[in-house]
Amino acid sequence: MRLDSIAKVIRSKNAGPCLLTLDVMLPDEATFAYVAARIGPLRRQVARRYGRSENEVAVLPFAPALAIKITLPRDIISGDIGDRDVYGAQQHAPLLDIEL
Amino acid sequence: MTAVGRMLDGFSRRRRPLRSLGASGQLGYGIPTPAFEAGLARAPDMIGVDMGSIDIGPAYLGGGKMAPTRVGAKRDLRKVLRAARRLDIPLIVGSAGSAGARPHLDQTLDIVREIARDDGLSFRLAVVAADVPRAAVKQAIAAGRVRPMDTMPPLTEADVDAASHIVGQLGLEAFRRALEADVDVVVLGRACDTGIFASIPAMLGFPAGISMHMAKIIECASLCCVPGGRDTILGVLDDDGFELESMAPNRAATPSSVAAHGLYEQADPFDIREPSGCADLRQVTYRALDARRTRVEGATFEPAERLTLKLEGALMIGYRALLIAGAADPRFVARHEEIFAAVACVVRDLVCEDAAEDYRLGFRLFGVNGVRAWAEPPAHMPRETFVMGECIAPTPERAEEVIRTTKQYLLHHGYEGRLATAGNLAFPFTPPEVMVGEAYRFNVFHLMDVDDMARLFPVEVETVA
Repeated sequence: MRLDSIAKVIRSKNAGPCLLTLDVMLPDEATFAYVAARIGPLRRQVARRYGRSENEVAVLPFAPALAIKITLPRDIISGDIGDRDVYGAQQHAPLLDIEL
Repeated sequence: MTAVGRMLDGFSRRRRPLRSLGASGQLGYGIPTPAFEAGLARAPDMIGVDMGSIDIGPAYLGGGKMAPTRVGAKRDLRKVLRAARRLDIPLIVGSAGSAGARPHLDQTLDIVREIARDDGLSFRLAVVAADVPRAAVKQAIAAGRVRPMDTMPPLTEADVDAASHIVGQLGLEAFRRALEADVDVVVLGRACDTGIFASIPAMLGFPAGISMHMAKIIECASLCCVPGGRDTILGVLDDDGFELESMAPNRAATPSSVAAHGLYEQADPFDIREPSGCADLRQVTYRALDARRTRVEGATFEPAERLTLKLEGALMIGYRALLIAGAADPRFVARHEEIFAAVACVVRDLVCEDAAEDYRLGFRLFGVNGVRAWAEPPAHMPRETFVMGECIAPTPERAEEVIRTTKQYLLHHGYEGRLATAGNLAFPFTPPEVMVGEAYRFNVFHLMDVDDMARLFPVEVETVA
């Protein structure tokens, strides 16, 4: 299943100037359980799409909000020369078509 | 009696739930009046507003400038200041002037004094500046008491000298010292947003974990609601938990919307870190009281073993100039990488004839790689693209020289297969070169161990009339 066909929210933002944090919010317990059971493959695909090694990518299920939180280093510190997205609010696009 | 004195006196006579009003998550961009007035009608014990964030990038901290306009900041400050004085309750402002260094604090205080003068208000004001003396940071580096945050490199003495401003994120204890100076209004430089709303609960003896959890939520006003928004929110805190209610009737604080807020701009949704310790949210429960109100319980607090201060600093890296243009020729779009590289060489050979290569020139092609440095080009190239050239140079004149030269040669660059020999670019207006001014980067984002916050960050008190 494609992530953007099952998620209610897929978003990105800075968590401080060095990190990017991505939230995938799911609509119900069943979908959350489906994704939470596939953290390994999700982490692998995120690492590949963002050009990171797997150990740089943290993937954490957050049951109270039926959400998966993904945190990884930014390629360039927020606002530094060559940065393209100071707030990090448009870095979620590579997640959209991940198949789980 | 001051507003803080009156509040403490009231609670010492009769202990009851504390009512905090989160007026705005980003002061200066407008506080919707209907929800704010609805909040004032609920007999709040305090009003809190946050003005700052590091997410807005290094230019504000580095350049000493506020993110909102002075007009916007004054309008919002007037609204909260007049309300707090009318109700005679404490007003707490955190991260003054967006980035919270001395120039930001001074601009904010200047506005506060101006409002008092204009509106005939008088009050006692406590101020805590968040600037960290360079000598103190250097001493801490030498003593091995500074550590990088996240992916930052280790901090050097040269970084400390190069930064135009270095601030520390003041914690709850700084707000508390300011409140204990027996005042009506508290304004802090750069500060943890939680301190705004957790400091009065700490003085009144409410449990630290749930107080910090509530503070973290209501500092964003009604962002924790569905639909999320900037309207004022009311947080009612007791010894076992807190209740959230947006003061805008169309916004609902539901268990899932409040829980989801814990994810926002945080790497770890289970921990809220402060200089004095960490709130642990692993055991938190969210329960609907009705369709628009949620009760939250269960956060615990783990005091830190040592006091740490999060340092932020930015340094100037030069002056920025931009070229703004469009392109709709598929041949140009397909070959953009080699065109940009070739033009950069032509420009370098011209502008470095009698000068060093002392600038950086880069290009983005929006539609292709403007937002992300994608590993691969798109499957289909877009019909139109936005071309942005960016130069950062040691002087404004040099940045302008480079970008104007770039404009000319990118416009007329002859590349292989070119059909459109009259020009490669569409200028939406002229001049298409924009001089942006000073450019900055973060060079300090580190943790520093501190023994005595009060000595580093003293409270200044004044009577404003």
